[in-house]
Amino acid sequence: MEYLTHYGPSLCVKLQGNLVYAGYGPFLHVHDLETGELINRCRIFRRNKIHGIAVNGEGALLLFGARSISIIGSKDASGCPDMSQDEKLLDEWIMSGQFSQTGDQTYLLTSYNKVLIRDLEGNVLATKGIDGEKSILYSGSITVFGPDKVLINAGTVMGGVLIWDLYEEELLHNLKGHEGSIFYVTISENGRYVASCSDDRSVRLWDLTTGDLLSVGWGHTARIWNLKFYDNSSKLVSVSEDCTCRVWKIVEDEESQASLEQKGVYEAHLTKNIWGVDVDSCGRKAITSGNDGRLKVIELDHPRIDNDEQSYTLQEIADQTGIIADKDEIIKGFHWFDFGLVAITSQGKIVLFESFNDTWTFLFTDDQFASYSSTHGISSDNVVVFANNKSDLLALKFDKDGKHVIAKTKMHVSDLTKTNNCMIRKESPTTFLVLLESPNPRENLVCMRFNLSTLEMEKTFSLKKPESFVSSCLEVYQHFLLVGSRFSTLAVFDLKKVECPAYLISKMTPGDTTTSIQFVEDLGDSQVFSVTNRDGYYTFIKIYLKGASRGDGKDYEIIQSNKIVRGFLEGAQFNAHGDYITHGFKSSLFYIYNETSCYEITSHICGGAHRQWKLCEDDKGSILVYIKASTLFFKRFNNSKTPETLCAGIHGREIRDITIRKQKKYKDGYLFCTGSEDTTIKLMHVNEQSGKMTNYWTQRKHVSGLQRCQFIKENLMISSSAREELFLWELNTEGDSRPYIALRQSLPVSSNLPDLRIMDFDVKFLGASQNFILATVYSDSTIKVWLYDSEQNTFTTIINGDYKTCCILNVFLTPICDQLFLAIAPTDGHLIFYNITEHIPFEIDEKSGELIDNDLDLSLMDLPDYDCRLEVHQSGIKCMSHVLEQGNELFIYTGGDDNALGITIAKLDAATGKLNARVLDFQPQAAASTMTSCSLISNGTKLLTTSVDQIVRLWDITENKLIKHSSEYTTIADTGCSDAVQTKDTRHLALIGGVGLSALRIDL
Amino acid sequence: MGKSSKDKRDLYYRKAKEEGYRARSAYKLLQLNDNFHFLDDPSLKRVVDLCAAPGSWSQVLSRKLFEGSDQQDRRIVAVDLQTMSPIDHVTTLQADITHPRTLQRILQLFGDEPADLVISDGAPDVTGLHDLDEYVQQQLVMSALQLACCVLKPKGSFIAKVFRGRDIDLLYSQLACLFTHVTCAKPRSSRSTSLEAFVVCQGYQPPADWTPKLDPSQSVQQFFQHCLPNGKHIAPFMACGSLESFDSDATYTSTCSTDPIATGDKHKPSLNPVQQPTNPPYKQALLLKRQGRLSRHVR
Repeated sequence: MEYLTHYGPSLCVKLQGNLVYAGYGPFLHVHDLETGELINRCRIFRRNKIHGIAVNGEGALLLFGARSISIIGSKDASGCPDMSQDEKLLDEWIMSGQFSQTGDQTYLLTSYNKVLIRDLEGNVLATKGIDGEKSILYSGSITVFGPDKVLINAGTVMGGVLIWDLYEEELLHNLKGHEGSIFYVTISENGRYVASCSDDRSVRLWDLTTGDLLSVGWGHTARIWNLKFYDNSSKLVSVSEDCTCRVWKIVEDEESQASLEQKGVYEAHLTKNIWGVDVDSCGRKAITSGNDGRLKVIELDHPRIDNDEQSYTLQEIADQTGIIADKDEIIKGFHWFDFGLVAITSQGKIVLFESFNDTWTFLFTDDQFASYSSTHGISSDNVVVFANNKSDLLALKFDKDGKHVIAKTKMHVSDLTKTNNCMIRKESPTTFLVLLESPNPRENLVCMRFNLSTLEMEKTFSLKKPESFVSSCLEVYQHFLLVGSRFSTLAVFDLKKVECPAYLISKMTPGDTTTSIQFVEDLGDSQVFSVTNRDGYYTFIKIYLKGASRGDGKDYEIIQSNKIVRGFLEGAQFNAHGDYITHGFKSSLFYIYNETSCYEITSHICGGAHRQWKLCEDDKGSILVYIKASTLFFKRFNNSKTPETLCAGIHGREIRDITIRKQKKYKDGYLFCTGSEDTTIKLMHVNEQSGKMTNYWTQRKHVSGLQRCQFIKENLMISSSAREELFLWELNTEGDSRPYIALRQSLPVSSNLPDLRIMDFDVKFLGASQNFILATVYSDSTIKVWLYDSEQNTFTTIINGDYKTCCILNVFLTPICDQLFLAIAPTDGHLIFYNITEHIPFEIDEKSGELIDNDLDLSLMDLPDYDCRLEVHQSGIKCMSHVLEQGNELFIYTGGDDNALGITIAKLDAATGKLNARVLDFQPQAAASTMTSCSLISNGTKLLTTSVDQIVRLWDITENKLIKHSSEYTTIADTGCSDAVQTKDTRHLALIGGVGLSALRIDL
Repeated sequence: MGKSSKDKRDLYYRKAKEEGYRARSAYKLLQLNDNFHFLDDPSLKRVVDLCAAPGSWSQVLSRKLFEGSDQQDRRIVAVDLQTMSPIDHVTTLQADITHPRTLQRILQLFGDEPADLVISDGAPDVTGLHDLDEYVQQQLVMSALQLACCVLKPKGSFIAKVFRGRDIDLLYSQLACLFTHVTCAKPRSSRSTSLEAFVVCQGYQPPADWTPKLDPSQSVQQFFQHCLPNGKHIAPFMACGSLESFDSDATYTSTCSTDPIATGDKHKPSLNPVQQPTNPPYKQALLLKRQGRLSRHVR
């Protein structure tokens, strides 16, 4: 077994010049901060995780974690794949480590508040400590002020912060005030302050000289794990279980009394726990490392340098331009261009702002556009279009610098009695379209084609407006016009066939206003568009624009559906890296979010959704223009020159199940799904050779932690969780750019019990069709069998019953001869077999074991009594694999909470017609802890198991006995799931999940 | 154990309230006893409950040891760093289990007689760093074991909570050189998704040439340096409590009449906890959060 890649919690991060060192389990990852490139992955320890990193003047690294320690040179760190031969083990847990000032000694603080002074060879030169009651530490740090002046900062489990002098072995302070365990304590470089944090969610600042409490910082909503002083000890950054990184400024008043003021909050990680943080030497960038395995680069706000928000009141604009602003005159509309902004007031005054010198100019007044007007633009071509409610249009084109108006068109559209909406969109390199809508539902939509250079109108199209349609957004693809409306509805017009009514796609999601439509990719016979809805849903819809329907009369298909984490969704598009970027509002914030990698790119307090605003792009990035309290604001979000993450990371919590799509390769590897305790399912790809993993989508349909996910066919996947949630997903891999996954159907629920979990399921397809029977088992001992009809897209219950009252953990369906059996494994350690042949509306082919549809009646039946019940384990059977041999011998491999692994055989008794089962082999001490997964590989000759003792074991199955073949330690705690695929004759790719995700190559 | 909790699904939680236990963990001890019967031994006289707060194990001890007649010479001492409300027949000590003074006080209370049984249900604040949590838990078990080695009679028993994570075999090995029988026991009231289990160590048999001595300046590693294990050992597993007892992983709907949530009986009042939760360290943070003063962004 060979580790290819490991993704998972990163406990610590250290910045050294342009290099970023991060601990990932026993591995050190070295990244280039500018390019984001992973320079090297070096194994430091054999088993223990890296908890901390220190660097000396020569760039050598001191790495420590648990009882392990290692010192390696910077060259080895950046170039060598394995340095674990240099690992040294100590008797005690190391809380902190630091180089001496001269760099030729190290100080190691143990969990029992002792410090070992060692030379670089590892010889202990001295052991230091202070007297007093020993208490185990939860945290600590070491501050080196000089060769003889070293302070030890120790945080105990009982709320004490102990600051002691190493060489004097003297306690300087026992700082009291925190409640609960101290999770971090550190001293500022200038020697003035101590900062500490604890279970009580506060950051405390203390005077190092006097030991006085100076300030308490409240803000974090969960435990705080790490602190770092920066910017010449004038600021402090804190990271927490609440996934935020917060910046605190140390403000001194006239009496030099220091206090903490919270200056910034950055949502940097997913679900739970940021463990590590470091800040670059100039205080511009923080790097955080989290439980989600992400290394996030945070651009720290720097008001003095950034100054990236400007604001103007109309009076200020009037003062600059010499216009006279009326008392109740307001800014009515605006659009941003590379040169700056064009705006119109409620009196029809048009003004222009040049961004290179921050100057406003008055252009002219057009009274026709007073009181009501809307403003739109095409930034790439410097075109602005004003529309009023009387169906007048005014279009202006500016030169490159915005100095001159080089084309102007003004016209009245007589086809409409009134206009209440105007939208524009670039159609081709030389033309753009304007769509006007009347409030009168009987009036047509008017679409006009304009020349982008001359602004001359070239053609008018009159389009019949569908019923109860209120247009909200527009997309143009070739000669098709796609118009979004309220109620999540979309109308497709063919400009070559204006006489034809629009093709309508209604209620794609629960039903708010469609906020954007974007062309994504061409699949040949169909095209893919991304559609966003204000209520937070987004869908990818495949439309057969050219009429070649998919055969069942439907001209479209939803191939991706999802909901954003929270807030309103106003638009989305793919960036240059192929990441899906959304934007919108949440409470008083405007946000931009990377949906592919699940992180917030930026957010800005603008007062919330109810205001005039526009997000425009220019060559440097994007600009949010909005009005708050009658003032015009420009907020610039510059595109980051350096990566926003060095490693995007995976789930925020434990992975509960993994399923590889084994039926078919995708690109240079396999697609797989992971289901997590964080309630999401990720659709990812793993490269077969390198093990590199790429995330495509994070599905948020489940509202509780996942139990299972399983590909049941090349294009179908099922996931299950509490609240009786079971979803059938459809995968689409037609496109070149990315796969898509959409919900096809949800299983009906029977109660509103939030805890009722669907623990496992299995399916058996009806021949080659997409119809199947589905068995589901529940935490309340219920067993159900369903029929899925793919044409009707319905689930119908055909068998209902229960086992006892205990939780059922596993289930499978299998034919034996011409009978169909349902086997379950509950928490009571038994295997129970039900013969359901007479209870399903199908017959079973004795040779192939396939279901045969003989048009039997569909009816709901009770679960029959079981054929056979066999005790295999003492308590819960946590994992199960099976194989049917010669069509009549069923072998079942089970792993239990009792550390054991068993083989059971089940056969039909010719005399009684009942199933008989017996245990063939039982290994009571197969692992030191709970067995959590077992997968048969290599044509059923090997069994791959995982267990909570963090050992991946491979077993030979020889003459119905399990013989340990090999084993490998895994750094993944709470090791809970695995899946494997045969990639070559003797080679397998295995994925192991838990608190982290690893790819292993197994060569047999 | 509060009035409302996400553990509402758990019948043991409800049952504990009904039967007057301070925590559902009482059933873990009762189910361990179902298989090992250490509390049913008539010769059981002196028991130490370590890390005892809030006191549900002491409650079980009190009820089990003092339910019949003739318990004149029985004694229970409960030790914790935190305060505990009084329990009948239990002497509570607010003390550090690693300190020799605590040992002296226990022995005084026992009239200088050794203990028959030492139990510990202690667990640290779980951080989510599995390796650290397992280490701290092992240190806690080792601290309890140190004290147990100083008070237990030969053939006495020791029971402690463990996390069955990586390196649990190292702990089993350490215990196996001090006791003739070491079992890893999992009561049915302990969820199978939890790493929690209990080591039941019977037949205390320290090395003949070893006199355990508590020294506050020594670490637990130093304490045990003369009885170190050789080789790894996996303790046999035993599921405890009958199959008919409630399954802590199951969702109960209509089978149990006691749970108004499960039965949908809204008229049945939700019971008050037997003992209010102790002040959590983040009490003030909770208060500030309720006032809307802890936010996700800077206003």
